[in-house]
Amino acid sequence: MRILVIEDEIKVANFIKKGLEEEHYAVDTALDGESGLYMSEVNDYDLIVLDLMIPKIAGLDVLRRTRSNKNKVPILVVTAKDTAEDIVKGLDSGCDDYLTKPFEFKVFLARVRALLRREKVDTEPILRLADLILSPVTHRVTRGEKEIELTSKEYGLLEYFMRNPNKVLTRTMISEHVWDYHFDSMTNVVDVYVNYLRKKIDKGFEPKLIHTIRGVGYILSPDRP
Amino acid sequence: MDFRSLRFKLTLWYVLILGILLISFSSFLYLTLSRSLYRDVDHKLRSLAELIASESTSPLSKFGFGNIDQTLEASMNLKPIGKFIQVLDESGRIGRTSENLKSVQLPISLNALRNGSKGLITYETNHSLGNTPLRIITYPVKENNQVTKMIQVASSLEDVEDALNTLLIILIVTVPSILVIASLGGQFLANKALKPVDRVTQTARMITSQNLNQRIQTLKVKDEISRLIDTFNEMISRLDQSFRQIKQFTTDASHELKTPLTILKGEVEVALRKKRPLHEYEQILESNLEEIDRMSKIVEDLLLLSKADIGEIRLNREDIHLTRFISGLTEQMKILAQPKNIRIEISNHQNEIHVFGDTLRMRELFINLIENGIKYTEAGGSILITLTKETDPPPDLEHGPAKREALRRAGGSVNLLTSKEKKAVTFAKIIVADTGIGIAKEDQEKIFNRFFRVDKARSREQGGSGLGLSICKWIVEAHQGEITVESEPGKGSSFIVRLPLYSHLRENLDNY
Repeated sequence: MRILVIEDEIKVANFIKKGLEEEHYAVDTALDGESGLYMSEVNDYDLIVLDLMIPKIAGLDVLRRTRSNKNKVPILVVTAKDTAEDIVKGLDSGCDDYLTKPFEFKVFLARVRALLRREKVDTEPILRLADLILSPVTHRVTRGEKEIELTSKEYGLLEYFMRNPNKVLTRTMISEHVWDYHFDSMTNVVDVYVNYLRKKIDKGFEPKLIHTIRGVGYILSPDRP
Repeated sequence: MDFRSLRFKLTLWYVLILGILLISFSSFLYLTLSRSLYRDVDHKLRSLAELIASESTSPLSKFGFGNIDQTLEASMNLKPIGKFIQVLDESGRIGRTSENLKSVQLPISLNALRNGSKGLITYETNHSLGNTPLRIITYPVKENNQVTKMIQVASSLEDVEDALNTLLIILIVTVPSILVIASLGGQFLANKALKPVDRVTQTARMITSQNLNQRIQTLKVKDEISRLIDTFNEMISRLDQSFRQIKQFTTDASHELKTPLTILKGEVEVALRKKRPLHEYEQILESNLEEIDRMSKIVEDLLLLSKADIGEIRLNREDIHLTRFISGLTEQMKILAQPKNIRIEISNHQNEIHVFGDTLRMRELFINLIENGIKYTEAGGSILITLTKETDPPPDLEHGPAKREALRRAGGSVNLLTSKEKKAVTFAKIIVADTGIGIAKEDQEKIFNRFFRVDKARSREQGGSGLGLSICKWIVEAHQGEITVESEPGKGSSFIVRLPLYSHLRENLDNY
């Protein structure tokens, strides 16, 4: 899952990025409204964390412009503005959730998970496909009775697959949602990681879940396409 | 009805004054009329008595014969209706009488007889005959300087008294009625006049700190009440503005404090989520320390400003040799400027510039200004400090009352110079000019506002509290000076401080 953090206070942006990355999310940061808006337009984010008092383009305008671009990405506003009017204004301008500073990081992470879940029809807090289970809260992945150990990137990749089951995912889609913008698209990193993941979740299990669609990408599905 | 209300008082006064006027007028009317009526009666009696007297003394008269009525009618063609006539001889014995007296005699008093014998006319009112009082004239007739007879003419006062009684009744009925009507009218008028006051009261009562944007509806007519309303509205506006300022200040202060708090909390929480290598903890602690310093600075500055606001800070003023003082400071500041390779230079044309100031505050002022210069000047730039004396008064020395009040509160032992005195003041003018990024025109007047930041992110990186220039402004104004800024974006900013010279203050010190 790829998240954009728009926050002008570098230290705040940094600890949010660090905390999110340790939860296996891919995180980009923007230090002002203008670059934030630009990045949200060129990349396909699964969530945007937005501060309201940011230079160049104010947070509320970033919100309104994102929504007027028909971009339905969930937006979590994190701000020091804490009056009732501010919260109402923020929610009415198009954000999906509103968190006031200073905040509990645990609560922040829970809200991030809730927003990522909300986008999907399936609102169950556990992701499940056949006998493969992934819990975004505990990061535990099990297949059948067996617990599977994954690296951070493998976990991110699997979460993306499991949030989009039975759907063909191109290499570009995968790289955009699992890696941050430092990702070099000229390499075959995606294929390498998909192979790592395949070894861990499919080897020794039936049915196979990860299938290659030649020339296009991959699909996570219990049925052979 | 509330007896203490203005409405009641106004009505009462109105009725009271009207009552006094009406009663005076009625009494005057009654007395004048009664006097004139009585005089009229006396006048008629006398002229009739004179007529009879002249007739009786006329040699051609047949006065001695027949009854008086016939005699009068015959000789003068006079019919004295309603008049009773009686002729007495000099000793007072009743002689002839008019017919209408029949068997009754007009009473004659001793006093009248005595007067009559001396030849004096007497008027009397007698109540002894019947129900109606009689007005009687006793007129002595003289012949050859000898009173020969007395003529008494009497007339009933019934008509007069009837007229006066009728008038009295009319007055007794109408005056109170008029007063009752007037009191109603007065109440109506008072109501009408005071209605806007009620509205003012109602609106004023509804206004709290929550809805200071409300105003009392103004009247079309410009009268006392509308002036009152205007005054009220102006007061509410001022309250509104100061409430807004306080609210803005509180919001700003809480935002300023929330940022370091968010960082502290967030960094620590993220750090504690798992075990980390030692150097990571060290990094986090270092960052935490920075934030704690930042918060301390903000809290310290806030405290200073709020103390200054309520006038709790006393200045320990002494003679400061400004040239030496600033040279000393500059040497210290050069260390701060070194990493960015910024040159600091002083240019002073006069050596002896003394001001009367608090050393600690003056240090704070110039350190703040020079630090600002260093912060906003790119590496390799320079800061030039110019010291001069200025004899001309600065442009806006006519302080408004608000400013004067602020100065009074902030001032130490020396009171504010009035504008008249200021003309004689010579100022020390200190310019701190940098070659930095400058300040946009629209921001120039705001930079002395609390928590105003031209570039929020940049200023935070530099560790400012957002209050430095507000404090500078306070220090300068507490020293009866003023601070202004001139700046051109991209070229640099000049902060100009003007402080009254010590020599001037010393000369006038005895007067304060």
